[in-house]
Amino acid sequence: MSHDDHENHHVNYLAVFFVLCGFTALSVVFDVMHFENHAVTIVLVMAVAVAKALCVMMFFMHLKFEGNWKFVVLAPVTILAIGLPLALMPDIAIAYYTPTTPQHGDWGEEMAEYREAHAEHGDHAGHDDAADHSDVEHDAAAHEKTEHTP
Amino acid sequence: MKMGIPISDAKLGMWLFLGTEIMFFTAFIGAYIVYRIGSPGWPSPADTHIQVFWGGLNTFVLIVSSFCVVKAHAAMSDKQFQAAQKWLLRTMILAVVFLGIKGYEYAGKFSHDILPGHIPETPMQAIAKADRELEVVVRERLAVYSAEGGVISVPEVKDLATVVPQLQAFQQGGAAAEGVTATAELRTAAAADIELYQRWKNLNEHMIANVSLKSVASAQVGSYRTAREALATGEKLPALTLDEVDEYLTELQGNESYGAAVTAGVFKPHPVLYGNLFASLYFLMTGFHAIHVLVGMILFAMAMNQGSRLNEGWTAWVENSGLYWHFVDLVWIFLFPLLYIVA
Repeated sequence: MSHDDHENHHVNYLAVFFVLCGFTALSVVFDVMHFENHAVTIVLVMAVAVAKALCVMMFFMHLKFEGNWKFVVLAPVTILAIGLPLALMPDIAIAYYTPTTPQHGDWGEEMAEYREAHAEHGDHAGHDDAADHSDVEHDAAAHEKTEHTP
Repeated sequence: MKMGIPISDAKLGMWLFLGTEIMFFTAFIGAYIVYRIGSPGWPSPADTHIQVFWGGLNTFVLIVSSFCVVKAHAAMSDKQFQAAQKWLLRTMILAVVFLGIKGYEYAGKFSHDILPGHIPETPMQAIAKADRELEVVVRERLAVYSAEGGVISVPEVKDLATVVPQLQAFQQGGAAAEGVTATAELRTAAAADIELYQRWKNLNEHMIANVSLKSVASAQVGSYRTAREALATGEKLPALTLDEVDEYLTELQGNESYGAAVTAGVFKPHPVLYGNLFASLYFLMTGFHAIHVLVGMILFAMAMNQGSRLNEGWTAWVENSGLYWHFVDLVWIFLFPLLYIVA
């Protein structure tokens, strides 16, 4: 049985705690500041999240003082964590082909009209994402707003 | 020659498990990220009833609890077992607070019927949903009259069309079923419920034909036909709009006899594009996270159960439970910005 000799490293847990609180407050501040370019908010807030995660992992979970075995566990997992969303991006997130789901087609138009009519609905800001899906030309269905029969 | 890595089997086991847990949450969080980017028009926090305040508070609660856990482990290493018990108790209390806040948030979602599969995504779906919910209210009200020993003798309320004429006959002074005393109050109540049925039927027929409630007042086939005959070629009767239905429902909610039942049974119609996708992902992520919080609480409870018997042998248990708890905190550190801020 091997014993860990990390008790020699004295970590000031209280200091780490205050740093974590500070980061949490910072991410709320970034949210309240409300940058016009939403991507700025996303990048800043996720950077804060990564910083907090590092604080917890290195100090609370003591990884700073552990050996190289930590990379054997963390590296494959990190590769998967980044690789999986990346692999799914082209099909679901960016959709390099024309999506034909109801949400993109008829429903999307209907809901755009509904939103315009109900524009007083508070903090909508009509999130226009980077990829513009609003004028997707889709061949199929007629757009005639005919009577809906179940 | 020193073999193997310099940590205990238990600790290595916990780290390997945490590695699999990272993969587990990667699946859900990755799915959320990918769907969120690919869905232009994702619901706003106003639609989803997500408030940054509660999320931030929960984040703070978990950070404090992580601090408490690390102090518990430090106390165990220093052989201060009763101090460790105190820190574990504080961790447990904070975990309960976290679940309480989560429960409060979930209650808010349920009261707005924000559940996967329950959310209408277009105005027409919202109208259809309101119509279905109103029908359920009508059936419940009428079922009271036809239950065993009820006012009229119809075995089931399968077809409202057979129930209502009998109820009308009763209301206008007809005989009740055997053994029922037909009082004036009962007849008045029947009158109110018949009216509710007729108001629902009106809405239902307007919805099926998609005709505005204002243009054709009555739900009779005859009046549609007349109204259509009066149209010029190419003209259509104005369509049913969500605002009309909302006004109609508000009117029904104001009624003294059946208003409360309508308020309780019918949610305000509110379409949310991608609402069901949001609800599925939200409940998956936060639900599994909450289950992990529960498991962490069980781990701590087993150490706390030792009471004054807690000794050095439990140091590894407390340390590894702490590692698990820090992981739970890590997941929330990512969930908070993704669900509450980036939304």
